[in-house]
Amino acid sequence: MDQSSAEINDHEMQDGTQNDAGNNSIQGPPNAASPTPVKTPQKPEQKLTFSPKYMLSGHMKPVSSLKFSPDGKTLASCGADKLIKFWDAYTGEILRTLEGHEEGISDIAWSFDGDFLASVSDDKSVRIWDFALGTQVRLLLGHTSFVFCVNYNPNSNLLVTGGFDETVRVWDVGRGKTLKVLPAHSDPVTSVAFNHDGTLIVSCAMDGLIRMWDTDSGQCLKTLVDDDNPICSHVKFSPNSRFVLVSTQDSTIRLWNYHSSRCVKTYVGHTNRTYCIPACFSNTKDKYVVSGSEDHKVYVWNLQTCQIMQVLEGHRDTTLAIDTHPTKDIIASAAMEKDLTIRLWFGEQSAMAEEPGPH
Amino acid sequence: MNESLISPFNFSHPTAVQTSLFALGSFARFDPSGRFVGVGRFDGLATIWDLETKAAVRWLDGHVKAVTSLDWSRHSRYVLTSSKDWNVIVWDLASVCDPPQRHATIRCDAPVSSASFHPRNSQIILALLTTGEVYLIDLRKNHRSRTELYEPEGDEDGIEGQSTRRYTMTVARFDTSGKYVFIGTSGGYILVFNSRTKTMIARHRIAGGAGSIKGLDFAKNGRRLVTNSSDRTLRQFIVPNYPRSSDTAVESFIEEELEPTHRFNDPINKTAWHAVSYSPDGEWLAGGAADAANHKIYIWDISNDGQFASTLDGGREPLAHLHWHPSKASIASTTNQGNILIWHSPNAERWGAFAGGFEEVDENVEYEEREDEFDIEDEAEILRRKKEAEQDDVDIDTIDGETVNPLLHSAINGVNGVNGGSDNGGVGGGALDEDMKWADEDADDDIGTWKMQILMEDDENQM
Repeated sequence: MDQSSAEINDHEMQDGTQNDAGNNSIQGPPNAASPTPVKTPQKPEQKLTFSPKYMLSGHMKPVSSLKFSPDGKTLASCGADKLIKFWDAYTGEILRTLEGHEEGISDIAWSFDGDFLASVSDDKSVRIWDFALGTQVRLLLGHTSFVFCVNYNPNSNLLVTGGFDETVRVWDVGRGKTLKVLPAHSDPVTSVAFNHDGTLIVSCAMDGLIRMWDTDSGQCLKTLVDDDNPICSHVKFSPNSRFVLVSTQDSTIRLWNYHSSRCVKTYVGHTNRTYCIPACFSNTKDKYVVSGSEDHKVYVWNLQTCQIMQVLEGHRDTTLAIDTHPTKDIIASAAMEKDLTIRLWFGEQSAMAEEPGPH
Repeated sequence: MNESLISPFNFSHPTAVQTSLFALGSFARFDPSGRFVGVGRFDGLATIWDLETKAAVRWLDGHVKAVTSLDWSRHSRYVLTSSKDWNVIVWDLASVCDPPQRHATIRCDAPVSSASFHPRNSQIILALLTTGEVYLIDLRKNHRSRTELYEPEGDEDGIEGQSTRRYTMTVARFDTSGKYVFIGTSGGYILVFNSRTKTMIARHRIAGGAGSIKGLDFAKNGRRLVTNSSDRTLRQFIVPNYPRSSDTAVESFIEEELEPTHRFNDPINKTAWHAVSYSPDGEWLAGGAADAANHKIYIWDISNDGQFASTLDGGREPLAHLHWHPSKASIASTTNQGNILIWHSPNAERWGAFAGGFEEVDENVEYEEREDEFDIEDEAEILRRKKEAEQDDVDIDTIDGETVNPLLHSAINGVNGVNGGSDNGGVGGGALDEDMKWADEDADDDIGTWKMQILMEDDENQM
């Protein structure tokens, strides 16, 4: 275990104005910390502004995925250094490091109760870890190439994975067996997810297609494709599963109504041509969409107007991994080789709410 | 959630076997969410199967003789098993160990032939003993009691008084609202008790006589009831309205003959029925034939005046039990070899779904080209139109009514059963009457947000 290698640089970022988010109230200059190049912030209503709070360093190679636990207390990270690390989401402390994969890890996913974490890796394996014990409880073998993406269903009795063997696999978590192999795409599968009641699976791939599957029968129910057929790098259901949020490598994020096969929102402004950068919804009162970018920044859009709310600057390389906190206005981001840090950005409302009960 | 994408057609009945579970069971019952089936076995074990993974996930090891019935609490947290070993056990599936923790064990005075939860409170339990007695057992702190439901002596009716021997009770069920207990007797009577006052409020003779009543099932809305009796006929009745319990005198009850709306039988083979179950919308009725050589399920179309719809053939192993899924066109039927057949209504694979923007048509359509179809449009114009189409706000949070999760769904149905179902209308306006209030006192902790933990089987760990 190399716990010691992970030290925290406690909220000492390059801007001096934001010394402690708790003490200074909302009054501070709203955009002094990050002068956004886009001029939309002059809205009369109360505005949400993110500011950097913690910088977590520990990973030796690029971080590929970040996931907050369902209760929001823990942040899990994984990377090309074959390690999974757990961090306290509110203090930034390192909690634990898991090792076991033989190649770099591409994605991780929490079970609904936060008891288990599934990870997928270039060693073609899927592993399930017990969070409390820090041990590996399952090794799922079956993929014939790199496994790239993973997600649990809401009951967490099923796991869905996709990879460079162009298949989507559904696993029985309890028994550790493959239930279904869907010959899903004709290019590496870049993202898979269940909807909120677990009856649908959505997958997307480098062939530019987004496909909806019936979990029970494994039948393909629908295929979405954009006119220009750009490479799809990430797909995610909206909280009510009526829409899917799709990131494509034409530097665009689209929100699709998959019933009518229509794109209902388009988010642009960031740069995404090469990497599979995920996009996330906020889970709080303010509705926004967050994504990383190849210009080293993190972009926050207003969900409805598609205007850029804020651009978070600080990372020194492509921001490859992104996640939003399940209950608060907190964004976690991580960048590639030249940076290797994970940053936690706290929205101002959440910084207020977080202070009374520190963990 | 997936329905809207799968098929534009409405609900139908199952047509084919999807899976066979090798469960060694004597019967199988779906839970209210439809995710699990609970299986009772002859060796005293009860098992919980996850239908998403088609695997047994919990082993309820507590009885020493055959399990005779199994019931689920409304959010599937508690499981009630009854057994020939005189015990009724309540299991708590929220416990993390396997076998799950026993929540309660109730010792009866004879082998128990069936037991069920009150639909609103899992601490009220109805138990039928093989001796033909029915007990209402209340486990709540302030109501702790065990009351026998007995039929009052019929002397006030004079004429019938002498002749009416008290028949043994052969089947006991709560109605969908839980206000009443319906009991079938060996004499072909249906007795109705108020579950709060435990007094009999009605005694129905089945018109024409029916022989001993073997089974009873309610449609989900609580308005209709079907009986299975020893004369090899299934009868459907409209559930009568009963006066509110407070309006009636304590000792009086309604004596009324019930005329079935439909009779279902097999006119050719004259087979008896092992089990009967309504579809969730109450439009179909499934009867499991007691055929000694075949596994046959008969389906009748209730919405079409009870017309016979089809027979499902499940192979050589005779049928022992069946139960309809709480929300889907699916049936779990048990063979006498202990296998559980899960029936479903398969959807034909639509290969057109693999092609984006491709639409299958059922018949040829003459395509008419629009005047401007191949005109070259200004790109800026297209962009502007796209922008315009994206003006509308999207709602990413609200889960629309038709696609609520099954747990929520069953709760809604429960409420419907209360307000519009077997009630006399005095309850309207959402107010609960005293029977409901009584049942809701000391509510159990079976809440909808509960989820079953996933157990990792250690023995199969490939580490």
